[in-house]
Amino acid sequence: MSAQTGGAARFVGASVKRREDPRLLTGGGQFVDDVQLPGMLHAAFVRSPLASARIASIDTQAALAVPGVVAIFTGADDFPRLPPWWPSEANVPAQHPLAIEDVRFVGDPVAIVIAESRYIAEDACELVDVAYEARTPIVDYRAAGEEGAPVVHAELGTNLVAEMASPPDPALEAAFAGSDHVFKETIKSHRYAAVPMETRGFVASWNKAGGELTVHMAGQAPHVARAYFALSLGLPEHAVRVIQRDVGGGFGQKAFQARDDMAVLHAAMRIDRPLKWIEDRQENLTAATHSRHEQITIEVGVNNDGLLQAIRLDHVLDAGAYPAMPAEADPGLVAAWFPGPYKVPHFGFRNVQYYTNTTARGPYRGPWLIETTVRETMLDIVARGIGMDPAEVRRRNSIQAADQPYQLHSGIVFDRVSPAETLEQAVEMAHYAQFREEQAAARAEGRLLGIGIASYIEPTAFGGGRSMGIEAATIRIEPSGKVTCLMGLGSYGHSVETTMAQVVADELGVAFEDVTIVQGDTASAPVGGGNLGSRSAVIGGAVAGMSARKARAKILDLAGHLMEAAPDDLELVDGVVSVKGSPASSMALTEITQVAYNGADRLPEGMEPGIEETTRWSAPFVTHSNATHVCMCEVDRNTGLVKLLDYVVSEDCGVMINPMVVEGQISGGVVQGIGGALLEHIPYDADGNPLAVNFKDYLLPVADLIPEIRIGHIVTPSDTPGGHKGAGEGGTIGGVAATVNAVADALAPLGVTITEQPLSPSRLLALIEQASA
Amino acid sequence: MKPAAFDYVAPTSLDAALTALADGGYDAKPIAGGQSLVPLMAFRLAVFGQLVDLGRIEELQGVARDGDELVIGAATRQAAIAKDALVAEHAPVLAQATGWIGHQQIRNRGTIGGSICHADPAAEYPATAVALDATIDVASTRGRRSIPAAELFEAAYTTTLEPDEVAVAVRIPVRRPGEGTAIFEVARRPGDFALAGCVVRVATSGGAVIDARVLAFGVGGAPIRLAAAEAALAAGAGVGSQELTAALQADADGLTPPEDAQATSAYRHSIVVHVANTAIAEAIADSQ
Amino acid sequence: MSRQQVEMTVNGRVHAGEVEPRLTLVDFLREDCALTGTHTGCEQGVCGACTVLVDGEPMRSCLMFAVQADGAQVTTIEGIGGGREGLTPVQQAFMDNHGLQCGYCTPGFIVTVEAFLRDTPSPSDEQIREALSGNVCRCTGYQGIIAAVRQAADQLAAEARS
Ligand SMILES: Cc1cc2nc3c(=O)[nH]c(=O)nc-3n(C[C@H](O)[C@H](O)[C@H](O)COP(=O)(O)OP(=O)(O)OC[C@H]3O[C@@H](n4cnc5c(N)ncnc54)[C@H](O)[C@@H]3O)c2cc1C
Ligand code: FES
Ligand code: FES
Repeated sequence: MSAQTGGAARFVGASVKRREDPRLLTGGGQFVDDVQLPGMLHAAFVRSPLASARIASIDTQAALAVPGVVAIFTGADDFPRLPPWWPSEANVPAQHPLAIEDVRFVGDPVAIVIAESRYIAEDACELVDVAYEARTPIVDYRAAGEEGAPVVHAELGTNLVAEMASPPDPALEAAFAGSDHVFKETIKSHRYAAVPMETRGFVASWNKAGGELTVHMAGQAPHVARAYFALSLGLPEHAVRVIQRDVGGGFGQKAFQARDDMAVLHAAMRIDRPLKWIEDRQENLTAATHSRHEQITIEVGVNNDGLLQAIRLDHVLDAGAYPAMPAEADPGLVAAWFPGPYKVPHFGFRNVQYYTNTTARGPYRGPWLIETTVRETMLDIVARGIGMDPAEVRRRNSIQAADQPYQLHSGIVFDRVSPAETLEQAVEMAHYAQFREEQAAARAEGRLLGIGIASYIEPTAFGGGRSMGIEAATIRIEPSGKVTCLMGLGSYGHSVETTMAQVVADELGVAFEDVTIVQGDTASAPVGGGNLGSRSAVIGGAVAGMSARKARAKILDLAGHLMEAAPDDLELVDGVVSVKGSPASSMALTEITQVAYNGADRLPEGMEPGIEETTRWSAPFVTHSNATHVCMCEVDRNTGLVKLLDYVVSEDCGVMINPMVVEGQISGGVVQGIGGALLEHIPYDADGNPLAVNFKDYLLPVADLIPEIRIGHIVTPSDTPGGHKGAGEGGTIGGVAATVNAVADALAPLGVTITEQPLSPSRLLALIEQASA
Repeated sequence: MKPAAFDYVAPTSLDAALTALADGGYDAKPIAGGQSLVPLMAFRLAVFGQLVDLGRIEELQGVARDGDELVIGAATRQAAIAKDALVAEHAPVLAQATGWIGHQQIRNRGTIGGSICHADPAAEYPATAVALDATIDVASTRGRRSIPAAELFEAAYTTTLEPDEVAVAVRIPVRRPGEGTAIFEVARRPGDFALAGCVVRVATSGGAVIDARVLAFGVGGAPIRLAAAEAALAAGAGVGSQELTAALQADADGLTPPEDAQATSAYRHSIVVHVANTAIAEAIADSQ
Repeated sequence: MSRQQVEMTVNGRVHAGEVEPRLTLVDFLREDCALTGTHTGCEQGVCGACTVLVDGEPMRSCLMFAVQADGAQVTTIEGIGGGREGLTPVQQAFMDNHGLQCGYCTPGFIVTVEAFLRDTPSPSDEQIREALSGNVCRCTGYQGIIAAVRQAADQLAAEARS
């Protein structure tokens, strides 16, 4: 902690129990679907059943005649086109809230029906008669760039979204030529999704007379959403209020609002009553964003001593029909961070991204994580190829403390990271050597045990001047002496009402119980970036601490004046200001706030009444967390089913505000990684129909499949105030790769190579049978 | 995902239910636990004019012994079957099968009659009923009849019941001395429908198998008897023997298992031998 | 289609009303009874978010129609702990072990676990995992939830002994 902490660090670093829990445990949470407003109407969408078609006609007569139906809007109602979220160099098509003329994926919103209940709205949806003229869709992104492939957005004349490449590099070619071995594989990631347990949802009410729109939503970043809504709807920003109280998960999927979301808001402004839309699960799996559908062909040059010489990537991504994030983001991150925790002298890349007639790509926890999956699975392939233990290959190539600051080819600098240390801690916690012995014994009996390692360095809390890197906190010492801290965060399970209160309580010198964090409401909070990109602890924690220190300074100034002491001689501990070393001479915080709010005549010359301090802070470019995961498993030879035996994470997220919360983020992330590696998948058929659009087909991990996850910590403070680093996404980033590597290691004696997920029993048994045939 | 509108009656007598179904014709549908029907309605894959709830009819509830048979009311909940003392004693494999069905919250509401009449190809009860030579008593306003389980299941989700007929009870011959039973299945997660499963009943004499029922589920439309394996077992082929393995392989090769998001057809084909072998070994062990 | 009268006791209070037969129990509880603690995550019986006790047994309220619960005793999360009695040992254990993050799945877990520990007072770890496998949580990775059930089970067993 910083030297100027108010009280001792009593709360930061402790696993303080969560403020959020009592209400959530007793049914008192307030999620968007819990909002009931007088006269509220309900929306449902008519969605395209075809992947690509021209809309010949839409007949809403019969649907409008259903009692209880209030309105139906279609593309003909001219909801204005969506503004872009970001400036982008990519080929970007016009996006309209509802399909106009063409539908481009199964689930494309065609009409929105407004009725007295969701039941009635769905009745009417069935009666909206849409005549489609089907066209041949392009479903396979790998074929989307081919000559003659159907084009998703005719106006663009191409399916190409964007393309990037490193400049030609003769040194790279020479490094490959000079390597003892060159390995090459194409590693594919399949399509799956964030699947928060609470789907998307809105309750929007338009006060026409007042010109105000109030939006309750399941989101991640209230102010960012507000700005976008204002822009989209042609309203002044201050006329839009976004409220998100409790949000049931998001993981990226709720970070940006998409076409159907905007259709709800436009519709709400055309009717005179509040409007609720709660996405159902089928819609969520069909029309909310999908993620991770991409592949990388990787070439690795390596010497006999295991030292990496050169890496080249060819990365192809599926953007879907209407990608919900800037085209440059994921490929850029992959290209810039790929070498990760290892020293790679020469590196080159190319990436290309295509539109397809499928559901849009959108962010999901560690959106660029294919970087780790590909690097780490390839390292194991390389290790097997040169006959060296995978842990040893990593050890030899790891960036060490002495190498730092370490600059990558992209210019990114790694400093204050500990990949060598987490590797050793994880290997030790996993009893790696002992497992290898057990594995050898098991193999002798024909059993398939495996252990997989994955390390990564994760960019968190992006700053560098952009809005996402700026956060503010307003701290108000209330007249009662209690503390309110207003923040622009948008928690969807991150515990910020607890962690931020820990920071504020420590920095001020008051009891944790006396601090309340108010967030998730644009009407009360200062403008902030919300919860995404693993930013809330690093940036939010820093700025909450800064505001608390300012407030504390004012308290001590005022106390010094009232007590006739030098502020520097005073301390604020547990809500009491006293002279350092002589506690008898003291004033309770409440006495001071009484003067601040009710006794302005007693204030020192020039001091404003009240105690309310705001800090807005722009974080440095990026803060790096790192970790090593080790997964252990057994694959059943007869069924191809994977049983996870043990899972270890050694991580470094700098100073932990609340270790319990950090470990919760890691465990949850790991299980999302495991789910992606083993279970979750939304395949499409050749006609562009998604084949897993309900929970019977889309398999989420359940308790019975998950081993104990053991977590070790290395603490290397970052250079940001507070010393924190992001911990939100890492679990998932490492989770996929470690699981894949464990399974690949289990199957290694069979001589098979795994380059595709999910590791479904069908895929694994086929590999096992192929090897024994 | 809200069901389309329907009318609803919850008669307290079987006769009233039968009359309601007869009057409603194709538009009327029995509902028992609703654990299969309601999801179909929520997706609007099924729409009915009237639901006739069987849940309040006393005579469809409970387990009793009637001579050499256990008689289980069609609307008896799966959870009740799992902990019923008569079932544990006389048809233990039915209780074991129940453990493989979904989760406790599903079993607390789902019924044996509903599971059998729904005839999901991957469900445990239909195959178990066939393996145990169960008989299904059915009734309509036209009268009553009994259908051997082996003749009930026509195809996936299709039985030989008429739309106005209600399953009243499932009759299961009580376990005889020397009999052994077992059920085993493979699913991707606990509680999921089986990718392939097998229920086995063997009759032994002096420790040797003299007769066998081997029923596979999840690998075809209706529960499927693995006839070659049954014959091999009856002819004395032991677990792990070449004869049994060859017979199971021949049975498996005769299957055309479904393909879906959970597993390929080839996968289901591959594991059925392992699944059957496991269940057979357990059933033989159970008979000793 | 005709509406029907229903009357049920929810958390000890009688709730009566006229409903469409197609109204699911979860929608009745959330909208007609204003008990919004029960959530939906799938409306097809898989996720467990909507679990409530009907006549004491945990069931999916998305797979029941309100008319089917006519005359039943229903307990929702609002009827478990909270208020003056404070948290139940199960709820307290979830809080102590970080068994929830966003809290959306939590009511379904609590209801399930309350009934499970009532019926299985000294569960094995395997039984705990099995009992939880009908409820999906996307946030926690189940670590805190499993630990919470263990703690609550041990505590309830200790209380029963003394
Ligand atoms: C998440 C989940 C997981 C599940 N997992 C499994 C599993 O692993 N294995 C498995 O077997 N099942 C599983 N099920 C289904 C469950 O077992 C159902 O309870 C069962 O299939 C149907 O029983 P029910 O009483 O709920 O019938 P309902 O859903 O009420 O009815 C099903 C069908 O049977 C008809 N019917 C019901 N009773 C009668 C009767 N007496 N006479 C004539 N027709 C009747 C109905 O008209 C309807 O067509 C699962 C369900 C869910 C939601
Ligand atoms: S909403 Fe009922 S089980 Fe998911
Ligand atoms: S706590 Fe978020 S889904 Fe369980």
